[in-house]
Amino acid sequence: MDERRRQRHEQEREHRREQLSDREPIGGQPNVHDPSHPGIGDPADPRLTMPAGRVFAVVVVALLIAAIFNADAMVRAGEGMKPGTTRDITLSVARPLADVTGFLQLNEPRKGFDLAFGQERKTASDTELETGSAAILERKAKPDAKPAWRQPTSARPLDLLVTGDSEADLVGLRMADLDTDDLLDVETVARNGTALTNPGFFNWELNAEQEMASRDPDAVVMLIGANDGFNVDVDGELYAPGTPEWETEFARRVAVVMKTLGGDGERPVYWVPPPTARDQTYNEIYRSQNRAVQRAAESVEGARYVDIFSTINDGEYSDQVEIDGREILGRQSDGIHFNREGAELPAGLVLAAMAKDYPALKDAAPEPPKEDGRRQLGD
Amino acid sequence: MTFPTIEFAAFLTVVLFLSWLLMPHPRAWRPFILVSSWVFYGWLDWRWVLLLIGSTVVNTVFANAVARAEDPAGRKLWVTIAVAANLTLLGVFKYLGFFVGSVDDALSGIGIGGLPVLQIVLPIGISFFTFQSISYVVDVYRGDQRPVPLVDFAILQAFFPHIVAGPIVRVGEFVPQLRTPRDPRKVLAGPALFLIAGGLIKKTVVADELARRVVDPVFSDPGAHSGLETLLAIYGFAAQIYCDFSGYTDMAIGLALLLGFRLPQNFDRPYLATSLRLFWHGWHMTLSRWLRDYLYIPLGGNRRGPRRTYVNLMLTMLLGGLWHGAAWTFLIWGGIHGGALAGERWLGERWLGERYPRVRLPRWLAWLITFNIVCLAWVFFRSPDLGTAFAVLGQVGAGGPSPLVTPVLVALAAGAVAIQAVPRDFWQRAEAWFVARPALGQGIALGTLIVIADAAVGQQGVAPFIYFQF
Repeated sequence: MDERRRQRHEQEREHRREQLSDREPIGGQPNVHDPSHPGIGDPADPRLTMPAGRVFAVVVVALLIAAIFNADAMVRAGEGMKPGTTRDITLSVARPLADVTGFLQLNEPRKGFDLAFGQERKTASDTELETGSAAILERKAKPDAKPAWRQPTSARPLDLLVTGDSEADLVGLRMADLDTDDLLDVETVARNGTALTNPGFFNWELNAEQEMASRDPDAVVMLIGANDGFNVDVDGELYAPGTPEWETEFARRVAVVMKTLGGDGERPVYWVPPPTARDQTYNEIYRSQNRAVQRAAESVEGARYVDIFSTINDGEYSDQVEIDGREILGRQSDGIHFNREGAELPAGLVLAAMAKDYPALKDAAPEPPKEDGRRQLGD
Repeated sequence: MTFPTIEFAAFLTVVLFLSWLLMPHPRAWRPFILVSSWVFYGWLDWRWVLLLIGSTVVNTVFANAVARAEDPAGRKLWVTIAVAANLTLLGVFKYLGFFVGSVDDALSGIGIGGLPVLQIVLPIGISFFTFQSISYVVDVYRGDQRPVPLVDFAILQAFFPHIVAGPIVRVGEFVPQLRTPRDPRKVLAGPALFLIAGGLIKKTVVADELARRVVDPVFSDPGAHSGLETLLAIYGFAAQIYCDFSGYTDMAIGLALLLGFRLPQNFDRPYLATSLRLFWHGWHMTLSRWLRDYLYIPLGGNRRGPRRTYVNLMLTMLLGGLWHGAAWTFLIWGGIHGGALAGERWLGERWLGERYPRVRLPRWLAWLITFNIVCLAWVFFRSPDLGTAFAVLGQVGAGGPSPLVTPVLVALAAGAVAIQAVPRDFWQRAEAWFVARPALGQGIALGTLIVIADAAVGQQGVAPFIYFQF
């Protein structure tokens, strides 16, 4: 039986070869194993081969060189990881290494390369973000009921910087889409994975100074907070998200960056904390962040709190969102970010907030969501 | 886990050492490389590993069922079930959400909408390992391949250098390499290290720079940019996607070579092509080969007359476009390629062939036309929707200042095309020269290159590879 099957197999195969012989392929037959292809040589060519042990040694030397000269970058990369074992191991190796290489000035070549690629430093020690006082929250802002900010026209649109973490990306895009009267010149700069509670990875105060100096926008929209699950250090004590001390410290940090972005009222800052998330643990933190941002905005001149937490879907998370009377998939699979279609909701809410300062934007801002049944942040 | 990260550097060091240590003992090496590859794949979400294992087991069963079937009808039935099962798996993860949403839209139009919205996470690499499964079972059906042991097929499917974004490897190309232990005295280190280093630079210095500084800003808000900036963004995206995707596959092929395995090439100087047919000789070669063997030829290829050939070309490219995602933009991308392939075939037969043998396009003109058709198609591929695509194209003639057009970005975009014209001999001579250097010098050179690549990326980190989403 097996022999018969084998023969039939061979006959079918031969028949198929004949069939194929007169077929011209769609894109030609790529000779995928042709050793003359660039990059892949003949294993028998001794000029191109090395013993495995030596290959391993070369890889280890290369990674050691990279680790030594990139130690500062490794620390930053570790700081940017989510809390967990990988982060702990990375930092436990990278921090001492960075101390040694810094002492020996072995980090200088990397700084030179950073300069060559136009990379700005985004971390700094002893900034107000890390070490400032909570007194900033007690300052009484000047009343800015009648701001003197320049009003946009189609001929001279408003230079708007939309920045923050990854949430900024699509919201900035959708704001540009909604601005059909060309009153805004939107520039979106998303700093993925960044947070206010992780200045060792990315210092938002320093970045705000650099961005304002180089771009000098007319207004700023800041969307950040989804990565802010880190403990904060206040006078040597560590506080976890959700505690009152964490919330106050977070509000202080928000106020510091608001002040830097706004230039003491020179331009308005529309600060947008995270929306609801699928995971209820995150929602507790996001609720706390929203309260903190509201508090910070009340103390900084020109700062506006934009609530997309309790205004969208009455503060209840749903993958579906209602836009123009239609229920659509509005969230990404991570249960936090909006997708391109869903991002129209927060974009509209930001435009509605902006329209209070820039009445010409009223047409771009969709109707605000119903207030009925709206949950309060403290709920 | 992705290639240029700290986690991967640590993973590679351990796996490279143990792999060569265990290579003389296949009984130990096979489970080792399999589990290592599963760790790599499951780093982001361990549930994906379960899906991969399930797909591997089921397709092994299908392949054996096809081989054991006594009569042609039984073989055909099993292969049909296998292909349908694989396409269903791909369809559920890639298209079900879109399909349900579209049906809901249609029903809403007549007032009976309200289907539940589906939020389905697409496992990275599912297209690639599903295509490999289909080719395995179909090759067994066609008699081109015998069933292989489950563990061999599992290693092919999970092999960490290529699981995430290809190349798409056939069983016949990989499994025979598992049968003979790799020779530890002859690792193709020259090509391997050049491919890894080149891929790293392509991704970090060229692709991510172009994306960040010109492509993303222009495609985010086309109306705010001048014609020059728009043109640079269009050509820049052509360079970006080449450096991003070929950079990834270069690293994949290089890493496999370090472990002693050869994967098929995926790119061969595509932007030097003087016709669309030649472009597909060199672009995503393993997908192009898959589409040809498992779609174009079964549709009839060029055996049913010129008209049917044009239809088959168009259908194949439209389905190739839809593979990237259920969107009009990808469909038009496929349509442009299908139309251009059919068009140049028609032109070749009608006007440039026997009837008018003297009519020949100069090579430079043929290259220019081909390259610009490819770039036109990329506009649709890159755009999130048709409105953006047409807005980008409509902006090409616009005036205004062009601060995004800098000599560095122009050089990066042009360099990505020009480097493809470097003769192959040059690279092989350079690899031989590198292999002859002392190990310490080689390590220092590679380490310096990693530092440069990391500096180019900066604090924002390496952007996800474009083809991870497919």
